[in-house]
Amino acid sequence: MSNTLGKRYVCEGCGTEALCNKAGAGSIQCCGAEMKLKEAKPLPSSD
Amino acid sequence: MNTANFLSIPASMFPDQEILVSGPARFTYGQMQERVRRLANALRARGVGRGSSVAVLATNSNHYLECYYATASAGATFVPLNYRAKTNELAYMIGRAEPRVLFFAERYRELLDRLSPELPKDMERIGFEAGSPSIEDLVAAGSPEGEDAEVEEGDTSVLMYTSGTTSLPKGVMLTFGHFTTYVVGTVEMADGEPRGVQLLCVPLYHIAGATNIMTSVWAGRKLVLLPQFEAGEWIDAVAREGVTHAFVVPTMLKQILDHPSFSREKMASLQNVSYGGAPMPFPVIRRALEAFPASCGFVNAFGQTETTSTLTVLGPEDHRLSGDPAADEAVLRRLHSIGRPLPDVEVEVRDDAGRSLPPGEVGEIMVRTARIMKGYAGSVEGGAQLEPDGFLHTRDLGYLDEDGYVFLVGRKDDMIIRGGENIAPAEVEATIQSHPAVDEVAVFGLPSVEWGQVVAAAVVLRPGVGATADEIVEHCRTRLSSFKKPEVVRIVPELPRNPLGKILRKDLRDSFAGG
Repeated sequence: MSNTLGKRYVCEGCGTEALCNKAGAGSIQCCGAEMKLKEAKPLPSSD
Repeated sequence: MNTANFLSIPASMFPDQEILVSGPARFTYGQMQERVRRLANALRARGVGRGSSVAVLATNSNHYLECYYATASAGATFVPLNYRAKTNELAYMIGRAEPRVLFFAERYRELLDRLSPELPKDMERIGFEAGSPSIEDLVAAGSPEGEDAEVEEGDTSVLMYTSGTTSLPKGVMLTFGHFTTYVVGTVEMADGEPRGVQLLCVPLYHIAGATNIMTSVWAGRKLVLLPQFEAGEWIDAVAREGVTHAFVVPTMLKQILDHPSFSREKMASLQNVSYGGAPMPFPVIRRALEAFPASCGFVNAFGQTETTSTLTVLGPEDHRLSGDPAADEAVLRRLHSIGRPLPDVEVEVRDDAGRSLPPGEVGEIMVRTARIMKGYAGSVEGGAQLEPDGFLHTRDLGYLDEDGYVFLVGRKDDMIIRGGENIAPAEVEATIQSHPAVDEVAVFGLPSVEWGQVVAAAVVLRPGVGATADEIVEHCRTRLSSFKKPEVVRIVPELPRNPLGKILRKDLRDSFAGG
């Protein structure tokens, strides 16, 4: 799975979070495994 | 991460996107970022960096935002000062924060000159509109090159003085980590597509103002700033800029509804109006639901400075009336609620012994989240009233319903105890508010030799409608337990409030006790 602009990725091993500020075809790995996409939980408000 | 990245990252990707409107001035990400970078470098040249601070005494403007992001970029602590604070409070806040630089708007020059003997000697004062140097001199002198400083998650990003209603202001230390958790946890980063227009009129020294600028700039939602709230200007700005999102405090919403230029048509672009800062009077939100377009959702956002803003929200679906009496009854009941906790917040209601209470029982609202402040600045014990399990005492009293909605009944310190019986001011206020002649009301305790305290009420009547204090008491007599009915009622022209619309009960108590 390619990475996506502006998304956060989290390592299920060590908890590191990475933010993608330029998308590409590759994937982000940490602790020997692909990092998982972590989505924001939007407030139902102005934010 | 450094919160300056909330500007510098989207600015590096979408430099031509318009992101800020302040009076007649409009800025793209790229223009804003260049000004911030230059200002940050000029601040660094003055010794501003990790461990030092920069304060601002001004109403809202693009300069205010530039100062925030430049201070963060330099790795320093930002101190937004309450421009409505009393002189002694201002001297206290500046004296405690010891900023290296104080930016100020021209209207406060004379005040600062007067305070001069009490201000830190090595603090440089820099004017927004005039003076030598002015902020424009710094922007012109600073290099446009450079990076945002490396910071630790636990470094204080903002030292925010709370608008205390009973004591001297307390400096709440909020870290880069707190804001990062809040901002990246609740909004997605800008992607170059339009994300709406946010109208901001609350002061930027308030937590709702600070978090709003960060979430909007990070998410690519254009920010329209009003220097200060004025209902007519707010209405004009919504119509002129096609505002989609706005945050107001309850008194503002009432003034908007009362303003002669208000019309549903002018509000057509609004998708979402959130409110908070003080309890919303039920008649005001009820009226707003009918007066605003049906396409505009309302959100009650409840939080504290100490918890880096929002803890619970009552969303648009909880505000929507369907016309079906049975369904609407539940909605109307829920409009008295502050909603349910955000995903990163746990809420419990506990009694004085620390036991968790079941739904329906009133106790202190306790919260646990990763966003609880680092502590109060200068406080020996740190200040945050944390239990060993990490729950914070909010000092707010309330209860949960079966579905986890939180209902406030008042501040713990405002609870009236009459002859051993606890009386929540909110319950008495709701009863008095239901009298057709009543516009606003505040209930509080007055000292009594016989009872310890008795219930007192200050009542503001609707324009052109008459009622006597005796009629108000009589109205309560038939609707409340006898010990809860107010024994001292006075009709007053207006209620004393702090800048966010919170009623200053202490002032009322003093005035009533003084005769």
